Amino acid sequence: MSHLLPTLPFASLSVKSPSGPAWEFLILFLVVILGPPIVRRFRGPGIVGLIVGGYVIGPYGLNLIGAGDQTVPELGQLGLLYLMFVAGVELDLALVRIHRKAVAGFAALTFAFPLAFGYLVGFSLDWNVAAALLLGALLSSHTLLLYPTVRQAGLSAETGVATAVGATVLTDTAALVVLAAVSGSEVEGGTPATIALQLVVGLSVLIGFSLGVLPLLARIAFRYLGTDRVVRYLLAFASFLAAATLAESFGIEPIVGAFFAGLGMNRLVPNEGPLMERIDFFGSAVFVPIFLVSVGMLLNPSVMIETETLKLAGLFIVAGIGGKTAASLVAHLTMGYSRPQATLMLGLTIPQAAATLAATVVGFNIGLFDQSVVNAVLVLILVSIIVGTLLVERSKAKVAPPVAVGQRLGKRILVTVEDPAQAPLGFTIGARVAAPDTGIVRGLLTSSPDDAHSRSSLLDELSAAGFAAGVDTEPRLMVQSSLADGILNAAVAEEASFVLIGQKSGAAASAFGTSGEAVAAATPIPVAILLGQTATIREVQLVRTEPTGANHTPTPAARVAEELANRIGGTRVRTRDADGAVRAKELEPGALCIAPAESWQLLASSDPPEGAAIVIVLESGMPWIEDAAEALPA
Amino acid sequence: MRVGSRGAAVRCSTSVGTACLVLVAAAAFSGCGTRSTSPAAGTFTPATPGVLTVATSDVPSPGFWEGTPTHLTGGFEYELALALADRFDLRSVRIKIVSFHRVVAGDLDGADLALDLITPTDARKEHLDFSTPYLNEAPTVVVRSGTSISDLATAQDLQWGAIRSTTFVDLIDDLVAPDDPVRIYDDQHAETLALLRGQIDAAMYDLPSAVAIADNSHGRLDAAAQLPQPENIAAALPEGSDNAQAVDSAMRAFIADGTVHDLLEDWVGSDAANASKSIPLLHTTLS
Repeated sequence: MSHLLPTLPFASLSVKSPSGPAWEFLILFLVVILGPPIVRRFRGPGIVGLIVGGYVIGPYGLNLIGAGDQTVPELGQLGLLYLMFVAGVELDLALVRIHRKAVAGFAALTFAFPLAFGYLVGFSLDWNVAAALLLGALLSSHTLLLYPTVRQAGLSAETGVATAVGATVLTDTAALVVLAAVSGSEVEGGTPATIALQLVVGLSVLIGFSLGVLPLLARIAFRYLGTDRVVRYLLAFASFLAAATLAESFGIEPIVGAFFAGLGMNRLVPNEGPLMERIDFFGSAVFVPIFLVSVGMLLNPSVMIETETLKLAGLFIVAGIGGKTAASLVAHLTMGYSRPQATLMLGLTIPQAAATLAATVVGFNIGLFDQSVVNAVLVLILVSIIVGTLLVERSKAKVAPPVAVGQRLGKRILVTVEDPAQAPLGFTIGARVAAPDTGIVRGLLTSSPDDAHSRSSLLDELSAAGFAAGVDTEPRLMVQSSLADGILNAAVAEEASFVLIGQKSGAAASAFGTSGEAVAAATPIPVAILLGQTATIREVQLVRTEPTGANHTPTPAARVAEELANRIGGTRVRTRDADGAVRAKELEPGALCIAPAESWQLLASSDPPEGAAIVIVLESGMPWIEDAAEALPA
Repeated sequence: MRVGSRGAAVRCSTSVGTACLVLVAAAAFSGCGTRSTSPAAGTFTPATPGVLTVATSDVPSPGFWEGTPTHLTGGFEYELALALADRFDLRSVRIKIVSFHRVVAGDLDGADLALDLITPTDARKEHLDFSTPYLNEAPTVVVRSGTSISDLATAQDLQWGAIRSTTFVDLIDDLVAPDDPVRIYDDQHAETLALLRGQIDAAMYDLPSAVAIADNSHGRLDAAAQLPQPENIAAALPEGSDNAQAVDSAMRAFIADGTVHDLLEDWVGSDAANASKSIPLLHTTLS
C-alpha cells in the first residue's frame, strides 16, 4: 500500500496538531460545559468540576494549555474582577440595614476568629507578617454558595440566615481591606507610615468613588444611554473596570475596586432585575468559569500530595473551619441564636470560594504564596464546601421557617397603568420605593381585549419611561376583560410586594368601587392608587390620620403611607393632618400627596389638579396589611 | 428616621469601620514590607551557603551582564540575581560562565540557577525546571545600519546568523525560511562580531537584548524588525530543584512590584521597555 501513497492526493495533505486561540477557547469551553455536570453527577459542587477541569487541561495535566500561555490567565484575571463585582452586587444590603446590630456582631465574630486563627497558623509556620495576615484574611471571608439551598427551604427571611447573609457584606469587605493592605505593603513598599497613608488615601478615594460617584454616574448614564439593554450591561461592566483601574493606580489590588464597585452598583442592579440576569448569565457562562479553570491550572497533584502541602491544608482547615465554628458558637451563646440556627449560620459561612480564591491568587501573583499554599487552599475550599453542605442539609429542617410577615415593601413592585402618560410618575415612585430594598419594578399596561392590538405599540413608551426613571421595567401588556382580575393575577404571579395602580381619575370610579379596591380586597399585598401626573416631584405631602389601630397605633395603611412618603420624598416630606378628606384641588404643581384611605368614598372627590398627583394607600381591613406593615422597619 | 438618613448611617458606619480596620491593619504592618521571603513563598537553599551561584553564557552582554566575569558592574540579569540574593537573605552572587548549549542541555555546572535569556521549551523542560517567565519579548532582528528588511522577501535574501541551541535557529528556518543556511555561532560576542564584519547580514535576539546591542554599537547596528509572536524568558533551575518554588515566587513578586520593569528601564533603557511599540513588525510566514 505504502508505495501507492505518493500517487494519491492524500499524500500531499498536511494536518497540524491543533493550536492557537480557537483551540484554546474550544478546550476552555469544553471544560466549562462538561466539568460541572460531571461532578454534579457525583453530587459534588459544580465549582469543583471547573477547578479539576482546569487541572486536566493545564500544564500539570494534559498540558493542552501550557504554562506560558497568556490568554487564559489574562481572561482569568478579568473573570476574577467579574466574580468580585458580582459578589458585591449580589449582596443584600437591605439585610445589613434591617438587622444591623446582629449583622455587625456576627460579622465581627466570623471575621475575627478565622483571622486570628489563620494569623496564628502563619506565625507558627514562621511566615512573615504579610503572609500570615493574608492567610487570616482569606480564611475570614466566605462565599454564600449554599444560600440558594437555604432560600429554597423558605428560610431566606429567617433571622439567623439574614444575619449570616448580611454579615457577608462586612466580612468580605474587611477581608479585602486586609488584602489591600498586604498587597500594598508588598508591592508598593515603603515605611509603615507611607504604606498606611497610601492605603488610607487610596481606600478613601476608592470608597468615595465606588459608593458615591459611581452610582451617581451610573444613574445618569442609565437614564440617558441605558435605553439599549446591551449598553446597560456594558455600563455595568465598565463600572467595575473603572473602579479596578482606580484601585490599581493607588496600589490597591484591582479586585478590591471591583468589589466596591459591586457594592456601589448594588441598588442600581436589583438581584432579580433583568440587568442582574444578564450579568449573571455572562458571568456564569464565561468569565467566572474561566477564572476557576485558570485556578485549576495551578493545581499540581505532585505538590498537593506532598506532606508539606497536606500539613498546610490540615492547618488551614482547622483554622478556617475552627474559626467559623467558634464564631457561631459564641453567637449561639451570647446572641440568642438557637443551636440549629447557629449550625445553619455556620453552614452558610464555612464555604470558602470567591473571596478566598481571589485573595489566594493575589497572594500567589505577588509572590507571597507558593504553589503549596495555593494547593492547600484548594483542598480547604473543597473540604469547606463539603462540610458546609452537610451542616446546611442537617440543620435546615430543624430551623423553623419564619412566621410569614410579608416581604419587604420595595422588593418587587408592580406598576400598572391604563394611560401611558402616568408611566413616568408611576415608575419614578416605583424606583424610589424599591431602592432601599434593592427591589425591582415591573410595568404592566392594561388593556381590554378590543384594544389589545393598538395598545401593544405603547409598550416602547412605557419602556422608555422606565429607563428615564432609572429602572428596567420590562413592561408587558395585560389583556383582560376584568381589570381587577388581571392585576390580581399579575401581582400573584410576580410575587409583588407592592402594587401601584395608575388610574386616570378618582371620579371615574364606578358605583361598585375601583379596580384597586377589588385588588386590595382580594390579595395580601399592599395596594395604592395613583391619581394624576407630575413631571417632577418637588414636594411630598403625607396626610396623617388619627391613630385608630389597636392601642391607638397608626393603622397599617397609615404606616405604609408614611413609609412610602419617606422613600419617595426623602427629606422633602411635609406632613399635614387629615381633616376629613384630602383637599386635592389645593395641591400645587409638582406636589405628590400620599394618604391612607380611610374610606372608599374619598376617591370620588380626590382628583388632583393638573401637574399634581395623589397616592392613596388602600386599607381593606384584611389581616394581610397587618403582616405587610410588620415587615416595615420600625 | 428617614430611609435616606438610615442609608447614610449605614454607609457612615461602614466607612468608619473600614477606616478602623485600615488603621489596625496598618498598625500590624510594622513588620511588613521587608520584601524578604518567608516559607509561605517557598524556601531557598543555595548550593554554597550564603551565596547565590548563577550560570550565564556571555559576560559582558550589553544591558544584561555589564563588566567582566570577575568584575561585574551591572546589567538587567545581574541586578535580577542581586535582587534574588537579597530576597533569599544571601550575602553575595557568584557567576559561572557556561555555554548556552550546555545550559539548555541541563548542565548548570553546579549553579543554583541560570539567567541567560532562556526560553522555556518542551525539550528544555526535560532537563531543566523553569521559573515564572520574567520577560515576554518578541524575537527581534538586528542588522547593520542601512540594511533594509522591509518585507519577508527581503529578509529571505539576507544571510542570517544565530547562536547555537537557541530557539532562534528554528525560528529563522520556520518563519523566515532564508535562501541560504543559517550560520551558527557559539556565543553572542562571536555572532555580533560576524554581523559587524559583514559575514552575516541579520541576527536574531530577544527584543531587549537586540535594543541593547544596537545601542552599544555606536550606530553601526540597528534593531530593524520584530517577529509577531513573543517568547517567554525565564530562570532555569536544575531539574527537580527544591528551590523552584522559591524562585518562582520571587519572579512573580519582582513582576508585581515593578522590579523587572525598573531594571529593564535602568539597564536597557526606557526605549527597550516600550520598544515593542516602536520597532516595526516583520510579517513572516505565520503572520
